[in-house]
Amino acid sequence: MSQTDTLPPSGLKQLWLKWRFHLNILLILVPLGFMPKYFADASLFRGDSGLGANIVENIQVGRWTLDLAELRDEAPRAEGPAGYFKAFNAACTSCDEGVKATYLRVGKPRSLRAAGTIFFGAPARMGTSLPIPPRTRPDADIWITIEGWDGKMYQASVPLAKASPATAAWLEKQGGNK
Amino acid sequence: MSKKSRSKIWFLVHSWLALPIWFFVLIVCVTGTLAVISREIVWLANPETRANPPSDEARRLNYDELLVAMQRDQPGIAVASLMTLSESHFAMLSDVTYPDGRTLRVYVNPYTGHIQGVPPQFNFEEFTRALHGWWLVPHTNGYSWGWYLVSLLGLPMLASLVTGLVIYKRFWKGFFKPTLRFNQGARIFWGDFHRLSGIWSIWFIAVISITGTWFLVKALLADNHIAISSQPIIPVVARETVPLTADGTPAPMISPDEAVRITQREIPGFTVDYVGFPSNAYAHLSIGGMSWYPLVYQKAEINPYTGAMEASRLLGDRKAVEIFTESMRPLHTGEFAGLTSKLIWFFFGLLLSMMVLSGLLIWSKRTALATANALKRSQKQARTAKAAVSTEVTSSS
Repeated sequence: MSQTDTLPPSGLKQLWLKWRFHLNILLILVPLGFMPKYFADASLFRGDSGLGANIVENIQVGRWTLDLAELRDEAPRAEGPAGYFKAFNAACTSCDEGVKATYLRVGKPRSLRAAGTIFFGAPARMGTSLPIPPRTRPDADIWITIEGWDGKMYQASVPLAKASPATAAWLEKQGGNK
Repeated sequence: MSKKSRSKIWFLVHSWLALPIWFFVLIVCVTGTLAVISREIVWLANPETRANPPSDEARRLNYDELLVAMQRDQPGIAVASLMTLSESHFAMLSDVTYPDGRTLRVYVNPYTGHIQGVPPQFNFEEFTRALHGWWLVPHTNGYSWGWYLVSLLGLPMLASLVTGLVIYKRFWKGFFKPTLRFNQGARIFWGDFHRLSGIWSIWFIAVISITGTWFLVKALLADNHIAISSQPIIPVVARETVPLTADGTPAPMISPDEAVRITQREIPGFTVDYVGFPSNAYAHLSIGGMSWYPLVYQKAEINPYTGAMEASRLLGDRKAVEIFTESMRPLHTGEFAGLTSKLIWFFFGLLLSMMVLSGLLIWSKRTALATANALKRSQKQARTAKAAVSTEVTSSS
Protein backbone atom coordinates (compact mmCIF):
# COMPACT_ATOMS: atom_id res chain seq x y z
CA MET A 1 0.00 0.00 0.00
CA SER A 2 1.38 3.36 -0.97
CA GLN A 3 1.74 6.13 1.55
CA THR A 4 -0.61 8.56 -0.18
CA ASP A 5 -3.64 6.40 0.54
CA THR A 6 -3.21 6.64 4.23
CA LEU A 7 -2.19 10.32 4.34
CA PRO A 8 -4.99 12.89 4.61
CA PRO A 9 -5.68 14.59 1.24
CA SER A 10 -3.79 17.78 0.54
CA GLY A 11 -5.42 21.14 1.36
CA LEU A 12 -6.25 21.91 -2.25
CA LYS A 13 -7.81 18.53 -2.88
CA GLN A 14 -9.86 18.79 0.28
CA LEU A 15 -11.02 22.23 -0.78
CA TRP A 16 -12.05 20.86 -4.20
CA LEU A 17 -13.88 17.90 -2.66
CA LYS A 18 -15.71 20.11 -0.21
CA TRP A 19 -16.66 22.96 -2.54
CA ARG A 20 -16.88 21.44 -6.04
CA PHE A 21 -20.69 21.48 -6.12
CA HIS A 22 -20.74 25.11 -5.10
CA LEU A 23 -19.30 25.86 -8.55
CA ASN A 24 -22.92 25.65 -9.69
CA ILE A 25 -23.93 28.47 -7.41
CA LEU A 26 -20.98 30.59 -8.53
CA LEU A 27 -21.86 30.02 -12.18
CA ILE A 28 -25.51 30.92 -11.62
CA LEU A 29 -24.47 34.13 -9.88
CA VAL A 30 -22.68 35.28 -13.06
CA PRO A 31 -25.76 36.06 -15.19
CA LEU A 32 -27.60 37.38 -12.15
CA GLY A 33 -24.76 39.81 -11.57
CA PHE A 34 -24.66 40.93 -15.19
CA MET A 35 -28.41 41.30 -15.59
CA PRO A 36 -28.61 45.02 -14.70
CA LYS A 37 -25.79 45.71 -17.14
CA TYR A 38 -27.55 43.65 -19.83
CA PHE A 39 -30.76 45.66 -19.53
CA ALA A 40 -28.88 48.97 -19.33
CA ASP A 41 -27.07 48.06 -22.57
CA ALA A 42 -30.30 46.96 -24.26
CA SER A 43 -31.87 50.29 -23.37
CA LEU A 44 -28.76 52.16 -24.59
CA PHE A 45 -28.84 50.45 -27.99
CA ARG A 46 -32.57 51.03 -28.37
CA GLY A 47 -31.95 54.71 -27.73
CA ASP A 48 -34.29 54.65 -24.73
CA SER A 49 -31.62 56.14 -22.52
CA GLY A 50 -30.61 58.91 -24.90
CA LEU A 51 -27.74 59.43 -27.28
CA GLY A 52 -24.95 58.30 -24.96
CA ALA A 53 -22.66 59.85 -22.36
CA ASN A 54 -21.18 63.36 -22.10
CA ILE A 55 -23.53 64.84 -24.70
CA VAL A 56 -22.25 68.03 -26.34
CA GLU A 57 -25.40 69.78 -27.50
CA ASN A 58 -26.11 72.20 -30.31
CA ILE A 59 -22.81 72.14 -32.17
CA GLN A 60 -23.20 74.49 -35.11
CA VAL A 61 -21.89 73.01 -38.36
CA GLY A 62 -22.77 75.20 -41.32
CA ARG A 63 -26.50 75.77 -41.13
CA TRP A 64 -27.11 72.59 -39.16
CA THR A 65 -26.94 71.92 -35.44
CA LEU A 66 -25.83 68.60 -34.15
CA ASP A 67 -25.55 66.79 -30.79
CA LEU A 68 -22.53 64.56 -30.22
CA ALA A 69 -22.15 61.92 -27.52
CA GLU A 70 -19.78 59.11 -26.78
CA LEU A 71 -21.60 55.79 -26.63
CA ARG A 72 -20.04 54.97 -23.27
CA ASP A 73 -18.14 57.03 -20.74
CA GLU A 74 -14.95 55.01 -21.06
CA ALA A 75 -11.47 54.85 -22.60
CA PRO A 76 -11.03 53.67 -26.22
CA ARG A 77 -11.30 49.94 -26.82
CA ALA A 78 -8.60 47.88 -28.49
CA GLU A 79 -9.76 46.22 -31.71
CA GLY A 80 -6.75 44.04 -32.41
CA PRO A 81 -4.28 45.10 -35.07
CA ALA A 82 -6.54 47.94 -36.19
CA GLY A 83 -5.76 49.87 -33.01
CA TYR A 84 -7.98 51.71 -30.57
CA PHE A 85 -11.50 52.90 -31.30
CA LYS A 86 -14.08 55.03 -29.63
CA ALA A 87 -17.79 54.81 -30.50
CA PHE A 88 -19.60 58.14 -30.93
CA ASN A 89 -23.23 58.89 -31.67
CA ALA A 90 -24.65 62.02 -33.22
CA ALA A 91 -28.15 63.37 -33.69
CA CYS A 92 -28.98 66.05 -36.21
CA THR A 93 -32.66 66.29 -37.02
CA SER A 94 -32.10 69.23 -39.37
CA CYS A 95 -29.63 67.11 -41.38
CA ASP A 96 -32.50 65.56 -43.34
CA GLU A 97 -32.12 68.56 -45.65
CA GLY A 98 -29.03 68.99 -47.76
CA VAL A 99 -26.58 66.76 -45.89
CA LYS A 100 -24.89 64.08 -47.94
CA ALA A 101 -22.55 62.72 -45.28
CA THR A 102 -21.18 63.49 -41.82
CA TYR A 103 -17.66 62.61 -40.70
CA LEU A 104 -15.64 62.62 -37.49
CA ARG A 105 -11.89 62.91 -37.14
CA VAL A 106 -9.23 63.64 -34.51
CA GLY A 107 -7.52 66.82 -35.72
CA LYS A 108 -8.58 69.10 -38.52
CA PRO A 109 -9.12 67.38 -41.89
CA ARG A 110 -7.31 69.00 -44.78
CA SER A 111 -9.80 67.89 -47.39
CA LEU A 112 -13.07 66.07 -47.83
CA ARG A 113 -11.15 62.97 -48.89
CA ALA A 114 -9.56 62.80 -45.45
CA ALA A 115 -12.58 63.90 -43.46
CA GLY A 116 -12.35 60.89 -41.13
CA THR A 117 -14.80 58.13 -40.35
CA ILE A 118 -18.25 58.41 -41.85
CA PHE A 119 -21.39 58.28 -39.71
CA PHE A 120 -23.83 55.42 -40.34
CA GLY A 121 -27.56 55.48 -39.77
CA ALA A 122 -30.43 57.92 -39.76
CA PRO A 123 -29.71 61.58 -38.92
CA ALA A 124 -31.84 61.25 -35.78
CA ARG A 125 -29.31 58.79 -34.41
CA MET A 126 -26.17 57.95 -36.29
CA GLY A 127 -23.01 56.33 -35.08
CA THR A 128 -19.38 55.94 -35.98
CA SER A 129 -16.28 54.30 -34.61
CA LEU A 130 -13.45 56.80 -34.36
CA PRO A 131 -9.86 55.50 -34.43
CA ILE A 132 -7.84 57.04 -31.61
CA PRO A 133 -4.08 56.83 -32.21
CA PRO A 134 -2.49 56.38 -28.77
CA ARG A 135 -0.11 59.24 -29.53
CA THR A 136 -2.91 61.77 -29.86
CA ARG A 137 -2.40 64.84 -27.67
CA PRO A 138 -4.96 64.85 -24.84
CA ASP A 139 -5.83 68.46 -25.67
CA ALA A 140 -6.66 67.61 -29.30
CA ASP A 141 -9.94 68.57 -30.92
CA ILE A 142 -12.31 66.27 -32.75
CA TRP A 143 -13.68 67.67 -35.96
CA ILE A 144 -17.11 67.17 -37.38
CA THR A 145 -17.28 67.60 -41.15
CA ILE A 146 -20.55 67.80 -43.01
CA GLU A 147 -20.49 67.25 -46.76
CA GLY A 148 -23.44 68.86 -48.48
CA TRP A 149 -25.22 67.46 -51.50
CA ASP A 150 -23.92 70.61 -53.20
CA GLY A 151 -20.37 69.29 -52.74
CA LYS A 152 -19.39 71.92 -50.15
CA MET A 153 -17.74 71.16 -46.83
CA TYR A 154 -18.80 72.53 -43.42
CA GLN A 155 -16.80 72.03 -40.24
CA ALA A 156 -16.87 72.44 -36.48
CA SER A 157 -14.72 71.14 -33.65
CA VAL A 158 -15.12 70.06 -30.04
CA PRO A 159 -12.30 69.51 -27.56
CA LEU A 160 -11.76 65.77 -27.17
CA ALA A 161 -11.55 66.28 -23.41
CA LYS A 162 -15.11 67.61 -23.47
CA ALA A 163 -16.58 64.99 -25.80
CA SER A 164 -14.87 62.13 -23.98
CA PRO A 165 -13.07 62.95 -20.71
CA ALA A 166 -12.20 59.26 -20.29
CA THR A 167 -10.38 59.24 -23.64
CA ALA A 168 -8.42 62.38 -22.72
CA ALA A 169 -7.45 60.79 -19.40
CA TRP A 170 -6.43 57.60 -21.21
CA LEU A 171 -4.29 59.59 -23.67
CA GLU A 172 -2.67 61.40 -20.76
CA LYS A 173 -1.65 58.00 -19.40
CA GLN A 174 -0.44 56.78 -22.80
CA GLY A 175 1.77 59.88 -23.05
CA GLY A 176 3.15 59.13 -19.60
CA ASN A 177 4.22 55.68 -20.74
CA LYS A 178 6.32 56.90 -23.60
CA MET B 1 -5.46 -3.14 -17.06
CA SER B 2 -8.34 -5.58 -17.05
CA LYS B 3 -11.36 -5.04 -19.27
CA LYS B 4 -13.55 -4.63 -16.22
CA SER B 5 -11.52 -1.92 -14.56
CA ARG B 6 -11.14 -0.11 -17.87
CA SER B 7 -14.88 0.07 -18.30
CA LYS B 8 -15.15 1.20 -14.69
CA ILE B 9 -12.84 4.10 -15.45
CA TRP B 10 -14.92 5.01 -18.50
CA PHE B 11 -17.95 4.88 -16.28
CA LEU B 12 -16.39 7.16 -13.70
CA VAL B 13 -15.27 9.61 -16.39
CA HIS B 14 -18.80 9.62 -17.80
CA SER B 15 -20.28 10.16 -14.35
CA TRP B 16 -18.04 13.02 -13.42
CA LEU B 17 -18.00 14.91 -16.74
CA ALA B 18 -20.81 17.31 -16.04
CA LEU B 19 -21.37 16.68 -12.41
CA PRO B 20 -19.66 19.50 -10.53
CA ILE B 21 -21.39 21.97 -12.86
CA TRP B 22 -24.59 20.04 -13.55
CA PHE B 23 -26.89 22.93 -12.77
CA PHE B 24 -25.01 25.24 -15.12
CA VAL B 25 -25.19 22.60 -17.88
CA LEU B 26 -28.88 22.12 -17.21
CA ILE B 27 -29.66 25.85 -17.45
CA VAL B 28 -27.63 26.15 -20.66
CA CYS B 29 -29.61 23.24 -22.13
CA VAL B 30 -32.96 24.62 -20.98
CA THR B 31 -32.28 28.17 -22.23
CA GLY B 32 -31.03 26.76 -25.53
CA THR B 33 -34.20 24.70 -25.86
CA LEU B 34 -36.32 27.76 -25.16
CA ALA B 35 -34.27 29.89 -27.55
CA VAL B 36 -35.09 27.50 -30.40
CA ILE B 37 -38.79 28.32 -30.16
CA SER B 38 -38.51 31.76 -28.54
CA ARG B 39 -39.98 33.45 -31.59
CA GLU B 40 -42.95 31.07 -31.53
CA ILE B 41 -43.47 31.71 -27.81
CA VAL B 42 -43.51 35.46 -28.47
CA TRP B 43 -45.88 34.86 -31.40
CA LEU B 44 -48.30 33.09 -29.07
CA ALA B 45 -48.01 35.71 -26.34
CA ASN B 46 -47.96 38.89 -28.42
CA PRO B 47 -50.50 39.41 -31.25
CA GLU B 48 -48.35 42.29 -32.59
CA THR B 49 -45.86 39.76 -33.94
CA ARG B 50 -48.45 37.96 -36.10
CA ALA B 51 -49.10 38.53 -39.78
CA ASN B 52 -52.86 38.56 -39.99
CA PRO B 53 -54.33 39.49 -43.38
CA PRO B 54 -57.15 42.06 -43.11
CA SER B 55 -59.26 39.99 -45.50
CA ASP B 56 -59.08 36.69 -47.32
CA GLU B 57 -58.18 38.27 -50.64
CA ALA B 58 -55.49 40.55 -49.19
CA ARG B 59 -52.05 40.17 -50.79
CA ARG B 60 -48.65 40.86 -49.32
CA LEU B 61 -47.38 44.33 -50.22
CA ASN B 62 -44.18 44.79 -52.16
CA TYR B 63 -41.28 46.74 -50.67
CA ASP B 64 -42.17 50.07 -52.29
CA GLU B 65 -45.74 49.86 -51.01
CA LEU B 66 -44.54 48.85 -47.55
CA LEU B 67 -42.28 51.89 -47.28
CA VAL B 68 -45.13 54.24 -48.21
CA ALA B 69 -47.53 52.56 -45.77
CA MET B 70 -45.01 52.59 -42.91
CA GLN B 71 -44.26 56.25 -43.48
CA ARG B 72 -47.99 56.99 -43.45
CA ASP B 73 -48.34 55.00 -40.24
CA GLN B 74 -45.45 56.61 -38.38
CA PRO B 75 -44.41 59.84 -40.13
CA GLY B 76 -40.75 60.77 -39.92
CA ILE B 77 -39.29 57.32 -39.33
CA ALA B 78 -36.15 56.25 -41.17
CA VAL B 79 -36.33 52.62 -42.31
CA ALA B 80 -32.97 50.83 -42.26
CA SER B 81 -34.11 47.35 -43.26
CA LEU B 82 -37.06 45.10 -44.03
CA MET B 83 -36.96 41.41 -43.28
CA THR B 84 -39.41 38.67 -44.16
CA LEU B 85 -39.26 35.64 -41.89
CA SER B 86 -39.37 32.21 -43.45
CA GLU B 87 -42.76 31.38 -41.98
CA SER B 88 -45.64 33.43 -43.31
CA HIS B 89 -47.49 33.69 -39.99
CA PHE B 90 -44.84 36.02 -38.61
CA ALA B 91 -45.03 39.79 -39.05
CA MET B 92 -42.13 41.29 -40.97
CA LEU B 93 -39.30 42.83 -39.00
CA SER B 94 -37.95 46.26 -39.74
CA ASP B 95 -35.17 48.27 -38.14
CA VAL B 96 -36.30 51.87 -37.91
CA THR B 97 -35.09 55.08 -36.32
CA TYR B 98 -37.75 57.36 -34.88
CA PRO B 99 -37.36 61.16 -35.04
CA ASP B 100 -36.65 61.16 -31.29
CA GLY B 101 -33.58 58.96 -31.83
CA ARG B 102 -34.96 55.62 -30.69
CA THR B 103 -33.70 52.79 -32.88
CA LEU B 104 -36.03 49.82 -32.74
CA ARG B 105 -36.88 46.65 -34.54
CA VAL B 106 -40.61 46.93 -35.24
CA TYR B 107 -43.23 44.38 -36.29
CA VAL B 108 -44.79 45.24 -39.65
CA ASN B 109 -47.95 43.71 -41.07
CA PRO B 110 -46.96 42.43 -44.53
CA TYR B 111 -50.49 42.99 -45.92
CA THR B 112 -51.05 46.54 -44.73
CA GLY B 113 -47.65 47.98 -43.84
CA HIS B 114 -49.05 48.89 -40.44
CA ILE B 115 -46.41 49.05 -37.71
CA GLN B 116 -48.07 46.76 -35.20
CA GLY B 117 -45.70 47.19 -32.32
CA VAL B 118 -42.18 47.21 -30.94
CA PRO B 119 -40.51 44.56 -28.77
CA PRO B 120 -40.92 45.35 -25.07
CA GLN B 121 -37.99 46.40 -22.86
CA PHE B 122 -37.75 42.79 -21.77
CA ASN B 123 -37.22 41.10 -25.12
CA PHE B 124 -37.74 37.40 -24.44
CA GLU B 125 -36.11 36.26 -27.68
CA GLU B 126 -32.97 38.30 -27.22
CA PHE B 127 -32.76 37.56 -23.52
CA THR B 128 -32.91 33.77 -23.85
CA ARG B 129 -30.37 33.91 -26.67
CA ALA B 130 -28.03 36.14 -24.67
CA LEU B 131 -28.36 33.96 -21.58
CA HIS B 132 -27.79 30.80 -23.57
CA GLY B 133 -25.11 32.22 -25.85
CA TRP B 134 -22.86 34.20 -23.53
CA TRP B 135 -24.35 33.88 -20.06
CA LEU B 136 -25.11 37.65 -20.22
CA VAL B 137 -21.43 38.51 -19.83
CA PRO B 138 -20.94 41.70 -21.91
CA HIS B 139 -18.64 41.65 -24.94
CA THR B 140 -16.12 44.36 -24.21
CA ASN B 141 -13.03 43.22 -26.05
CA GLY B 142 -13.78 40.58 -28.67
CA TYR B 143 -15.83 37.65 -27.44
CA SER B 144 -16.90 37.75 -23.80
CA TRP B 145 -15.67 35.17 -21.32
CA GLY B 146 -19.28 34.09 -20.91
CA TRP B 147 -19.24 33.00 -24.56
CA TYR B 148 -16.16 30.87 -23.85
CA LEU B 149 -17.73 29.49 -20.68
CA VAL B 150 -20.81 28.24 -22.55
CA SER B 151 -19.11 27.12 -25.76
CA LEU B 152 -16.50 25.15 -23.77
CA LEU B 153 -19.34 22.85 -22.69
CA GLY B 154 -19.32 21.39 -26.22
CA LEU B 155 -16.22 19.40 -25.29
CA PRO B 156 -17.49 17.60 -22.17
CA MET B 157 -20.77 17.06 -24.00
CA LEU B 158 -18.98 15.33 -26.84
CA ALA B 159 -16.96 13.34 -24.31
CA SER B 160 -20.19 12.38 -22.53
CA LEU B 161 -21.57 11.04 -25.78
CA VAL B 162 -18.46 9.00 -26.53
CA THR B 163 -17.98 7.62 -23.02
CA GLY B 164 -21.71 6.96 -22.76
CA LEU B 165 -21.61 4.79 -25.85
CA VAL B 166 -18.48 3.02 -24.64
CA ILE B 167 -20.00 2.03 -21.30
CA TYR B 168 -23.41 1.19 -22.73
CA LYS B 169 -22.58 -2.31 -23.96
CA ARG B 170 -24.14 -3.10 -27.34
CA PHE B 171 -26.20 0.06 -27.24
CA TRP B 172 -27.60 -0.60 -30.72
CA LYS B 173 -29.70 -3.36 -29.21
CA GLY B 174 -31.59 -0.62 -27.36
CA PHE B 175 -33.06 0.54 -30.66
CA PHE B 176 -34.80 -2.78 -31.18
CA LYS B 177 -35.68 -3.51 -27.57
CA PRO B 178 -36.57 -0.20 -25.97
CA THR B 179 -36.72 -0.58 -22.20
CA LEU B 180 -38.39 1.85 -19.86
CA ARG B 181 -39.34 0.20 -16.58
CA PHE B 182 -41.84 2.25 -14.60
CA ASN B 183 -42.56 -0.01 -11.67
CA GLN B 184 -39.15 -0.91 -10.31
CA GLY B 185 -38.22 2.23 -8.48
CA ALA B 186 -36.82 5.60 -9.46
CA ARG B 187 -33.22 4.44 -9.99
CA ILE B 188 -34.22 1.87 -12.58
CA PHE B 189 -36.63 4.23 -14.31
CA TRP B 190 -34.13 7.09 -14.62
CA GLY B 191 -31.41 4.67 -15.71
CA ASP B 192 -33.66 3.31 -18.49
CA PHE B 193 -34.74 6.81 -19.44
CA HIS B 194 -31.14 8.04 -19.61
CA ARG B 195 -30.06 5.18 -21.84
CA LEU B 196 -33.14 5.18 -24.06
CA SER B 197 -33.18 8.94 -24.71
CA GLY B 198 -29.41 8.79 -25.01
CA ILE B 199 -29.33 6.38 -27.94
CA TRP B 200 -32.15 8.16 -29.78
CA SER B 201 -30.34 11.47 -29.23
CA ILE B 202 -26.92 10.35 -30.51
CA TRP B 203 -27.25 12.42 -33.67
CA PHE B 204 -28.60 15.43 -31.80
CA ILE B 205 -25.96 15.42 -29.06
CA ALA B 206 -23.30 15.07 -31.76
CA VAL B 207 -24.76 18.00 -33.72
CA ILE B 208 -25.13 20.24 -30.67
CA SER B 209 -21.72 19.47 -29.20
CA ILE B 210 -19.87 19.79 -32.51
CA THR B 211 -21.62 23.03 -33.47
CA GLY B 212 -21.18 24.26 -29.89
CA THR B 213 -17.47 23.53 -30.09
CA TRP B 214 -17.42 25.44 -33.38
CA PHE B 215 -18.60 28.52 -31.46
CA LEU B 216 -15.56 28.07 -29.24
CA VAL B 217 -13.24 27.75 -32.24
CA LYS B 218 -14.90 30.72 -33.90
CA ALA B 219 -14.27 32.90 -30.86
CA LEU B 220 -10.68 31.69 -30.59
CA LEU B 221 -10.07 32.49 -34.28
CA ALA B 222 -11.67 35.92 -34.04
CA ASP B 223 -9.95 36.89 -30.81
CA ASN B 224 -6.61 35.88 -32.28
CA HIS B 225 -7.41 37.74 -35.51
CA ILE B 226 -7.18 34.66 -37.69
CA ALA B 227 -9.47 34.96 -40.71
CA ILE B 228 -10.54 31.94 -42.74
CA SER B 229 -13.06 33.85 -44.83
CA SER B 230 -12.57 34.27 -48.55
CA GLN B 231 -15.05 37.14 -48.55
CA PRO B 232 -13.52 40.22 -50.15
CA ILE B 233 -13.99 43.56 -48.41
CA ILE B 234 -16.62 45.40 -50.41
CA PRO B 235 -15.49 48.94 -51.15
CA VAL B 236 -17.93 51.78 -50.54
CA VAL B 237 -19.87 53.28 -53.42
CA ALA B 238 -17.35 55.17 -55.57
CA ARG B 239 -17.45 58.91 -54.97
CA GLU B 240 -17.72 59.57 -58.72
CA THR B 241 -20.97 57.63 -58.99
CA VAL B 242 -22.69 59.61 -56.24
CA PRO B 243 -24.18 62.58 -58.04
CA LEU B 244 -23.99 66.16 -56.82
CA THR B 245 -27.14 68.22 -56.90
CA ALA B 246 -27.10 71.93 -57.58
CA ASP B 247 -30.03 72.70 -55.27
CA GLY B 248 -28.75 70.57 -52.40
CA THR B 249 -31.53 67.97 -52.49
CA PRO B 250 -30.47 64.34 -52.05
CA ALA B 251 -29.66 62.50 -55.27
CA PRO B 252 -32.45 60.13 -56.30
CA MET B 253 -31.97 56.45 -55.46
CA ILE B 254 -33.53 53.42 -57.04
CA SER B 255 -36.48 51.91 -55.20
CA PRO B 256 -36.13 48.65 -53.26
CA ASP B 257 -38.34 46.80 -55.73
CA GLU B 258 -36.13 48.01 -58.56
CA ALA B 259 -33.10 46.68 -56.62
CA VAL B 260 -34.84 43.33 -56.19
CA ARG B 261 -35.59 43.21 -59.93
CA ILE B 262 -31.96 44.01 -60.76
CA THR B 263 -30.70 41.31 -58.38
CA GLN B 264 -33.02 38.70 -59.82
CA ARG B 265 -32.05 39.68 -63.35
CA GLU B 266 -28.33 39.40 -62.54
CA ILE B 267 -28.70 36.25 -60.41
CA PRO B 268 -31.60 34.17 -61.76
CA GLY B 269 -33.47 32.30 -59.06
CA PHE B 270 -32.32 34.56 -56.22
CA THR B 271 -34.97 34.47 -53.49
CA VAL B 272 -35.23 37.69 -51.53
CA ASP B 273 -36.17 37.99 -47.87
CA TYR B 274 -34.12 41.00 -46.84
CA VAL B 275 -33.63 44.55 -48.03
CA GLY B 276 -31.05 46.71 -46.27
CA PHE B 277 -31.23 50.37 -47.17
CA PRO B 278 -27.99 52.33 -47.60
CA SER B 279 -26.74 53.37 -44.15
CA ASN B 280 -25.20 56.52 -45.60
CA ALA B 281 -24.69 58.25 -48.96
CA TYR B 282 -21.73 56.00 -49.84
CA ALA B 283 -23.27 52.68 -48.81
CA HIS B 284 -24.90 50.05 -50.96
CA LEU B 285 -28.43 48.82 -50.97
CA SER B 286 -28.23 45.20 -49.80
CA ILE B 287 -30.49 42.43 -51.01
CA GLY B 288 -30.34 39.13 -49.13
CA GLY B 289 -31.94 35.71 -49.22
CA MET B 290 -31.41 32.04 -48.55
CA SER B 291 -29.72 29.90 -51.19
CA TRP B 292 -31.14 26.56 -52.34
CA TYR B 293 -28.95 25.03 -49.63
CA PRO B 294 -30.95 26.21 -46.63
CA LEU B 295 -27.98 26.79 -44.33
CA VAL B 296 -26.15 29.46 -46.34
CA TYR B 297 -27.33 33.00 -46.93
CA GLN B 298 -26.65 35.00 -50.10
CA LYS B 299 -26.28 38.74 -50.55
CA ALA B 300 -26.03 41.24 -53.37
CA GLU B 301 -24.88 44.84 -53.10
CA ILE B 302 -26.52 47.33 -55.44
CA ASN B 303 -25.28 50.84 -56.17
CA PRO B 304 -28.40 52.85 -55.22
CA TYR B 305 -27.68 55.62 -57.76
CA THR B 306 -26.73 53.67 -60.89
CA GLY B 307 -28.55 50.41 -60.15
CA ALA B 308 -25.40 48.41 -60.88
CA MET B 309 -24.85 45.22 -58.91
CA GLU B 310 -21.36 45.91 -57.58
CA ALA B 311 -20.79 42.86 -55.41
CA SER B 312 -22.41 39.61 -54.46
CA ARG B 313 -21.70 36.74 -52.14
CA LEU B 314 -23.37 33.59 -53.32
CA LEU B 315 -23.27 29.96 -52.26
CA GLY B 316 -20.85 29.15 -55.07
CA ASP B 317 -18.42 31.87 -53.93
CA ARG B 318 -17.72 30.01 -50.70
CA LYS B 319 -14.88 27.61 -50.10
CA ALA B 320 -15.96 24.17 -48.89
CA VAL B 321 -14.70 24.99 -45.40
CA GLU B 322 -16.87 28.13 -45.34
CA ILE B 323 -19.97 26.20 -46.33
CA PHE B 324 -19.16 23.91 -43.41
CA THR B 325 -18.54 26.71 -40.89
CA GLU B 326 -21.51 28.79 -42.02
CA SER B 327 -23.75 25.75 -41.62
CA MET B 328 -22.82 25.47 -37.96
CA ARG B 329 -25.15 28.13 -36.58
CA PRO B 330 -28.39 27.04 -38.28
CA LEU B 331 -27.55 23.45 -37.36
CA HIS B 332 -27.16 24.53 -33.74
CA THR B 333 -30.38 26.55 -33.59
CA GLY B 334 -32.50 24.26 -35.79
CA GLU B 335 -33.60 27.24 -37.85
CA PHE B 336 -33.38 26.02 -41.42
CA ALA B 337 -36.59 24.21 -42.32
CA GLY B 338 -39.29 26.30 -40.76
CA LEU B 339 -41.32 25.19 -37.80
CA THR B 340 -40.66 21.48 -38.41
CA SER B 341 -36.93 21.63 -37.78
CA LYS B 342 -37.44 23.97 -34.82
CA LEU B 343 -39.93 21.60 -33.20
CA ILE B 344 -37.56 18.66 -33.69
CA TRP B 345 -34.74 20.66 -32.14
CA PHE B 346 -37.02 21.74 -29.30
CA PHE B 347 -38.08 18.17 -28.56
CA PHE B 348 -34.52 16.84 -28.53
CA GLY B 349 -33.42 19.89 -26.54
CA LEU B 350 -35.94 18.97 -23.88
CA LEU B 351 -34.71 15.38 -23.98
CA LEU B 352 -31.11 16.56 -23.60
CA SER B 353 -32.06 18.73 -20.62
CA MET B 354 -33.80 15.72 -19.11
CA MET B 355 -30.67 13.67 -19.69
CA VAL B 356 -28.66 16.09 -17.58
CA LEU B 357 -31.27 15.81 -14.88
CA SER B 358 -31.64 12.04 -15.10
CA GLY B 359 -27.86 11.69 -15.11
CA LEU B 360 -27.75 13.62 -11.87
CA LEU B 361 -30.53 11.52 -10.35
CA ILE B 362 -28.75 8.30 -11.28
CA TRP B 363 -25.54 9.67 -9.91
CA SER B 364 -27.08 10.68 -6.62
CA LYS B 365 -28.67 7.25 -6.29
CA ARG B 366 -25.81 5.11 -7.52
CA THR B 367 -22.49 6.79 -8.03
CA ALA B 368 -22.65 8.58 -4.70
CA LEU B 369 -23.25 5.25 -3.02
CA ALA B 370 -20.59 3.52 -5.08
CA THR B 371 -18.08 6.27 -4.34
CA ALA B 372 -18.87 6.15 -0.64
CA ASN B 373 -18.51 2.36 -0.69
CA ALA B 374 -15.24 2.57 -2.59
CA LEU B 375 -13.95 5.07 -0.05
CA LYS B 376 -15.02 2.86 2.81
CA ARG B 377 -13.33 -0.11 1.16
CA SER B 378 -10.07 1.70 0.69
CA GLN B 379 -10.15 2.93 4.28
CA LYS B 380 -10.86 -0.56 5.45
CA GLN B 381 -8.00 -1.87 3.34
CA ALA B 382 -5.77 0.77 4.80
CA ARG B 383 -6.81 -0.20 8.29
CA THR B 384 -6.21 -3.90 7.62
CA ALA B 385 -2.85 -3.09 6.07
CA LYS B 386 -1.96 -1.04 9.12
CA ALA B 387 -3.19 -3.78 11.42
CA ALA B 388 -1.14 -6.33 9.48
CA VAL B 389 1.94 -4.15 9.86
CA SER B 390 1.37 -3.72 13.58
CA THR B 391 0.77 -7.45 14.02
CA GLU B 392 4.00 -8.06 12.19
CA VAL B 393 5.76 -5.58 14.43
CA THR B 394 4.25 -7.13 17.56
CA SER B 395 5.03 -10.65 16.49
CA SER B 396 8.59 -9.81 15.52
CA SER B 397 9.34 -8.04 18.79
